[in-house]
Amino acid sequence: MTQADQIPPPPRHLPDLCVRCATCMAVCPVSRVTPLFPGPKQAGPGAQRFRLASQDSVDDWIELCSACRLCDTVCPAGVPISELNLLAKAKYLDERGGTLRDWLLVRIDLFGELFSRFSAIVNPLMKKRAVRWLLDKMLKIDRRRNLPAFDSPTFRQWFRDRPVVTNAAGRPRIAYFYGCFTNTNEVDVGKAAVACLEAYGYSVSVPPQRCCGIPRLGVGDLRGARKMGRRNLSLLLPTVREGTDIVFSSTSCGLMFRHEYGPLLDLPGAEELATHLFDICWFLLNRHEEGQSAVRFRTLTAKAAYFAPCHLRSLNSGLPALDLLRFVPGLDIRMIEAECCGLGGLYGFKKEKYAIAEEIGKDLAKEVARMKPEVILTDCEGCRMQIRHLTGIKVLHPLQLLRDVLP
Amino acid sequence: MKRWDLIVIGTGLAGLTAARTAVEMGAKVLVIGRGMGSLTLFGNTIDVLGEIPPGADMATGVADWIAVHPDHPYARMGWSGISEALNAFRELFPSPYTFDSVGRGNSLVPTGAGTMRPTYLLPITMTAGAGMSAADTLIIGLRGFKDFQGDTVSLDLQCRGVNLSLPRYGLEGLTALALARLMDEGPFRESLGEAIRRQMAGEKRIGLPAVLGLKAPADVLKTLETITGAKVFEIPMLPPSIPGTRIFHRFREFLIAKGATFLLGNPVIGADVKEGRCEGITLQNPPLLTVYRAERYILATGRFLGGGIQADRERISEPLFHLPVLQPESRGEWFRERFFQPEAHPIHRAGIVTDAELRPVDAGGRVILKNVRAAGSILAHHQMIEEHSHEGIDIATGYLAVRRALAS
Repeated sequence: MTQADQIPPPPRHLPDLCVRCATCMAVCPVSRVTPLFPGPKQAGPGAQRFRLASQDSVDDWIELCSACRLCDTVCPAGVPISELNLLAKAKYLDERGGTLRDWLLVRIDLFGELFSRFSAIVNPLMKKRAVRWLLDKMLKIDRRRNLPAFDSPTFRQWFRDRPVVTNAAGRPRIAYFYGCFTNTNEVDVGKAAVACLEAYGYSVSVPPQRCCGIPRLGVGDLRGARKMGRRNLSLLLPTVREGTDIVFSSTSCGLMFRHEYGPLLDLPGAEELATHLFDICWFLLNRHEEGQSAVRFRTLTAKAAYFAPCHLRSLNSGLPALDLLRFVPGLDIRMIEAECCGLGGLYGFKKEKYAIAEEIGKDLAKEVARMKPEVILTDCEGCRMQIRHLTGIKVLHPLQLLRDVLP
Repeated sequence: MKRWDLIVIGTGLAGLTAARTAVEMGAKVLVIGRGMGSLTLFGNTIDVLGEIPPGADMATGVADWIAVHPDHPYARMGWSGISEALNAFRELFPSPYTFDSVGRGNSLVPTGAGTMRPTYLLPITMTAGAGMSAADTLIIGLRGFKDFQGDTVSLDLQCRGVNLSLPRYGLEGLTALALARLMDEGPFRESLGEAIRRQMAGEKRIGLPAVLGLKAPADVLKTLETITGAKVFEIPMLPPSIPGTRIFHRFREFLIAKGATFLLGNPVIGADVKEGRCEGITLQNPPLLTVYRAERYILATGRFLGGGIQADRERISEPLFHLPVLQPESRGEWFRERFFQPEAHPIHRAGIVTDAELRPVDAGGRVILKNVRAAGSILAHHQMIEEHSHEGIDIATGYLAVRRALAS
């Protein structure tokens, strides 16, 4: 283990930036629904003042932070609250040792391609009550949670095997980071991304890539996250260096690349990647507004609702998908006024956190019930899973709808 | 990169008012907040000028007061401008969750510190507090909710107070937000209403901490009033302010629906100034620095807490555009002798001096930046804490700054 692989203590001054104004307590979705988690003010800067690197962690509730990062987006004092929580969580789990479940869940990218190949067997199995009961009892993966089905072939195989695009020569190039979930569970999102990018006149490539590593951050495995980061940087930087920008369609992967590889994990090359990496809807919106390659969408008469994922808010470049969807003639698109879907990535799959995730999600479900949309659009796969689970309404990535109205 | 018609820096009530005014005028607006702004801290009622005695007519009171305070931000628009801006604010809150004055002037409302304070516009959930008297009011706290103690608040208000238990709901350690969320649920507020009714001894009014729902406060009020048969009101308390959060959410919902772009959570760390104009501002979201450009800018970054102005050991400065800050001659004159005393500390008058259009000016009265206007508490020549004028200044100057900016 090298020095850089140690869990770093946060700089001493960070908790003292906190003025105890409690604004974060107005947005934390976890403390909104349960008193078990004391909330970001106490869990972050409050407790940090009493933590010593040399002392064992005593924060049994620190694991309940779902890492939505909403606290960071509202703090007027610039306290990196979620980062303090994450480092405290890493130390806590490091001292206690992780569970087999967490070890397996954060490595789902390794099994994904295999499950995808055998999806005809895996998918029905995952629906079986006995299997879910077993997973619940043995691994504490809550049996009430639907497990996402695997697609076959994977996005990468589909992209490799599709017919050669004939008029690609001379077009500007763009690279696409699809992410694990698109690759093995929601291949259609990847297909829609490629269709939209091509409609805007780009020649699309998919550089080799690995899991961004954010699931490992979620269980406090900084070493693992760093490892994934180094691999991805060595795979993606050549693309950037030959002058091709990269877009992502999964909000959390994008957040990991742009804002965690550098500031938190301190990986060399992270900043270079960050400056050439864009949210795909932001990228298309900018092309659209520049007008040079504005695509005229076909009319779609439908009542739709858009939900802004927490990690999109952290990316802090507005709500580009919503702005883009507004260009679709006939589409009645409204924003769902709710903070956080509750899933928190793998958080809501865990038996001990399932009830919290459900309770957070209820607020969103109530808003949806009031709005009665025909379709819900959101950029994050976790949010899509959770909203389907909560409402039973059709939930798509915004690009899937846009692909269907391309000229 | 696209160019906006207007960039608003700051998401307090001044910035949000500016953004909303601009959107209503058809402008393409970008709103940038380092955090969520001051509404979650103190936003409860709309103070305009607490110095006008309760019951006195506000229009004549403010007009007369402006005559002897010619440098005050209110002098830029007079009562007609202030009331135009306040009416625009009220339009954003249609029935049932409305903001109104009680009568034609200020009224006194109870606070979570057990004091009475003057204010002008009240949300419907606080109106009944304005008429409370010691004899007819019961103050209710919730056992387990630390931010508001019914029996302590009532001591100073000299009325009866109790802290209720609702064992079925386990309120121990709940936050204001968690309570507000519970209130939005029918069964909870019905149980609460029943529990309050059992405690009543002929009181006509019930005061509760200001957590009566985030989504449906008017419904919460109605349920409680129906069950108790009394008038119910919220009492503002410690941050985070639920009533302020409602105001913030309403503005955000409106602005996003109208196509404004909201950036929240990162500071603006630099401005590109050329030949007396701002050409762009830089947002820092580590490791990225992003430049945003607009024709016009509104600086609504607040005072010390918001970071609009800051103090080192000697001087007070404005960190973004390095505008001159009106301030006492030396540090020795910043504060009066005692922390709590009726007169304002001189440091509280510090701020940015502007022309009639709210453009910052230098000592000679010359406009420094043609396309930048300042709004809200960052302005000089007010003492919003002692005057009880915070929200009024935010709304009136946020409104005026944009009307002038977009007219240019």
